[in-house]
Amino acid sequence: MKKRVKPGWVTTRRVVQYLALALFISLFIAARQNRWPGEVVNIPMRLDPLLGLASALAARTFVAGSVLALITLLLTLVFGRAWCGWLCPLGTVLDLFPFKQARGKRPSPPETWRKVKYLLLLLILSAALFGNMTLLFLDPLAILHRTLSTAIWPALDQIVTASETFLYRIPGFGAPISWLDSKLRPVFLPTEPVFYRDTILFGAFFVGLLALNVLAPRFWCRYLCPLGGLLGLLSRAALFRRAVTEPCQGCKLCSAGCPTGTIDPSKNYASDPAECTLCMECLENCPRSMVQFTPGFSLAEGQPYDPQRREALLTLGAAIGGIALLRSNLLAKRESPFLLRPPGSRENNTDIVAFTRCSRCNLCVRACPTGAIQPAGFEAGLEGFATPVLAPRLGYCNYSCNACGQICPTQAIPALSLEEKRQQVIGKAYINESRCLAWSDHQPCIVCEEMCPLPQKAIQLEVKEVWGPDGIPIELQLPHVLREICIGCGICEYKCPVSGEAAIRVYIPPLEVPF
Amino acid sequence: MTKISRREFLRLAALTMGGVTLNHLLAGCSPQKSTPELTTDHPLPTAAGAAPESAATTQAANSTANVPAGVPDLVVARNGDPESMVRRAIAALGGMERFVHPGARVIVKPNICVDSHSYEYAATTNPWVVGALVKMALEARARSVRVMDYPFGGTAESAYANSGIQEQVQAAGGEMVTMTGFKYISTEIPAGSALKKTDVYDEILTADVLIDAPVAKHHSMARLTLGMKNLMGVIRNRSALHRNLGQSIADLNSLIRPQLTVIDAVRILMANGPTGGNLNDVKQLDTIVASPDVVAADSYAASFFGLQPADLAYIQAGSAMGLGRSDLSNLKIEELSL
Repeated sequence: MKKRVKPGWVTTRRVVQYLALALFISLFIAARQNRWPGEVVNIPMRLDPLLGLASALAARTFVAGSVLALITLLLTLVFGRAWCGWLCPLGTVLDLFPFKQARGKRPSPPETWRKVKYLLLLLILSAALFGNMTLLFLDPLAILHRTLSTAIWPALDQIVTASETFLYRIPGFGAPISWLDSKLRPVFLPTEPVFYRDTILFGAFFVGLLALNVLAPRFWCRYLCPLGGLLGLLSRAALFRRAVTEPCQGCKLCSAGCPTGTIDPSKNYASDPAECTLCMECLENCPRSMVQFTPGFSLAEGQPYDPQRREALLTLGAAIGGIALLRSNLLAKRESPFLLRPPGSRENNTDIVAFTRCSRCNLCVRACPTGAIQPAGFEAGLEGFATPVLAPRLGYCNYSCNACGQICPTQAIPALSLEEKRQQVIGKAYINESRCLAWSDHQPCIVCEEMCPLPQKAIQLEVKEVWGPDGIPIELQLPHVLREICIGCGICEYKCPVSGEAAIRVYIPPLEVPF
Repeated sequence: MTKISRREFLRLAALTMGGVTLNHLLAGCSPQKSTPELTTDHPLPTAAGAAPESAATTQAANSTANVPAGVPDLVVARNGDPESMVRRAIAALGGMERFVHPGARVIVKPNICVDSHSYEYAATTNPWVVGALVKMALEARARSVRVMDYPFGGTAESAYANSGIQEQVQAAGGEMVTMTGFKYISTEIPAGSALKKTDVYDEILTADVLIDAPVAKHHSMARLTLGMKNLMGVIRNRSALHRNLGQSIADLNSLIRPQLTVIDAVRILMANGPTGGNLNDVKQLDTIVASPDVVAADSYAASFFGLQPADLAYIQAGSAMGLGRSDLSNLKIEELSL
């Protein structure tokens, strides 16, 4: 046996993978309220060619920032799907959960399943051509952002806070816990817990994705990932290719250890460049160092799982049919008045902008320091799944914050200056007089007026003599909303002290108001 | 009985922990935010007794024991830059050494209620007033001087920066502290009648010296926000106080006893408080009021707005509880013009 003299390519790859994941998470952490500038924090999204291509098709404009995606395309044309094997943070997370024992000797799913990712890609791009970006919620970076924002980070915060609360009360632990906490907050964890209403949904989706690894290693990357599909198509023309030189002994170590299962013993251990992520496992597994990655100009040969013309046409048809169905639902006819969008992302009182431009990357969700911006579950219709909505009861649009627009990679939320954002109308506040403490219970409460951040106060108090609780007349301050100046930031709804649904709520005015 | 293996035990423990976490997260799906349940009730040595007379004595013991004779009850300094006015006023009260003994852990509580505007808008305390207090406390050889507030609009991080207070505090050698959720301790208020129990920030309760540093400004329910109301910043559940605001503020003040109150009236907010945002509502007074008696300081500052002490419910309630004096005519007041 020849001694292995290779320079440890697999170790190198792992180091690069972990560094890329650490960088991704650092940028994610720094995205909160623009701790780092938006155009730095959104670099991973702008490197994503699926996002760039789909949003350019859907919005019919080229977003200048997306030019970074050319780097990824170039990388792929030289090295194939190295992005998937070396850089993609979701791929790295999937590698961290191999579930080898649970999988046992189960055979991999049929090769034809690999087709799904191409069809998904085609579906996304043809839908984008018709102005629909719904399925972009399947972009791998978007999935990771969404899960980190809505599930992993809030859960981490809960665990840390619960431990701190417990330990702080043990004598002697107070000082060290205080010190630790001052290092953790507000940089890594929020000072006040932030809540997301669809935590379970997004968390479960991610767990499901990890669990698919039981069926095959990197199941998502092999069969489903639409970005993987796009890079796979390009990889067919990639410069560097895996090649097996003679004399191969047919020991099958490479095919057995290939994480994407693309090495075919029946074809002389050849592999499909569209599937190979350049993980270099085969290079190190080969006892005779017969595997090489060499440059060469040629198109890779076709595979039995490549989509056929008929399937491509069917997918195009499915995109058209699907969009037609989505557009004929109830929300298209009568939009919910409570469907609030981040500041500036409605145009002429319609929601179109958010639909044709938003890439569902959910960076704005992370950027929003109060948790006002939430990824939609189904309240924006199926078409608007995972688009950003504003939920004032969970968080308010802070008067001094314009982070969401600064970070948005596709400008679905416009990059407004703070002055401009302060003029943006999100909705208008309405008092539900039958729930308001002052109006219905005749109790002194002015919290909404107190909180209103507008210099001239969009909530004013009328002093009125009313019946007190015991029938004796009392003077009371009753809140009114001046809707001419209200911008719908929602801090009144957020802070309203009544339980459950607030007695003051922000919504789109019943009559059409030009904004 | 079946034996449980270690693996089984760990698995069950992990599941239980996971369930608890999930429960927290599910609770998060409802709009009401849950503050962590704190079980330790913590009656404090500084808490006032039931009798109103004893309420004022804890503070008196701290600050008037070594008061030189002839020192005024309250000092008003006018027409200087903020730092000089603070320095002169406190010197006239007997110097910072009267309140801060060497090695003391000092907390300065300014009003940093929102992150919307800079100090010119008079919604937040003048940064140089806070800076001067930090410097003077350190000059009196305090072990540490921490500055904190819990803003209701925006994060503490942005409010500390936007108000300009962070810069001056750090330049003065003090420390800006973020008030973090797990340090609020459920605390009884023995002398309280409207507010009997609330979650109070632990460090406020355990500090050696508390300096109350409000900005004088308008508030639509309390009419004015001054020293007594500024202390609402050390508790979490503030909306519970609105039902009977005057008495509740006084009740809270029976628990939290600042050794020194310095009211910033360099620029005061005449209308649209507490958040402000319009320079037309701001009046420049170039005045500082300082007193060990928060009720007396508030009573004097009310006059800047054309109000009498009796116009403010919390002053009335506070003096009725014996927390301090609102009879300005009987107080020894020193007025300085720089």
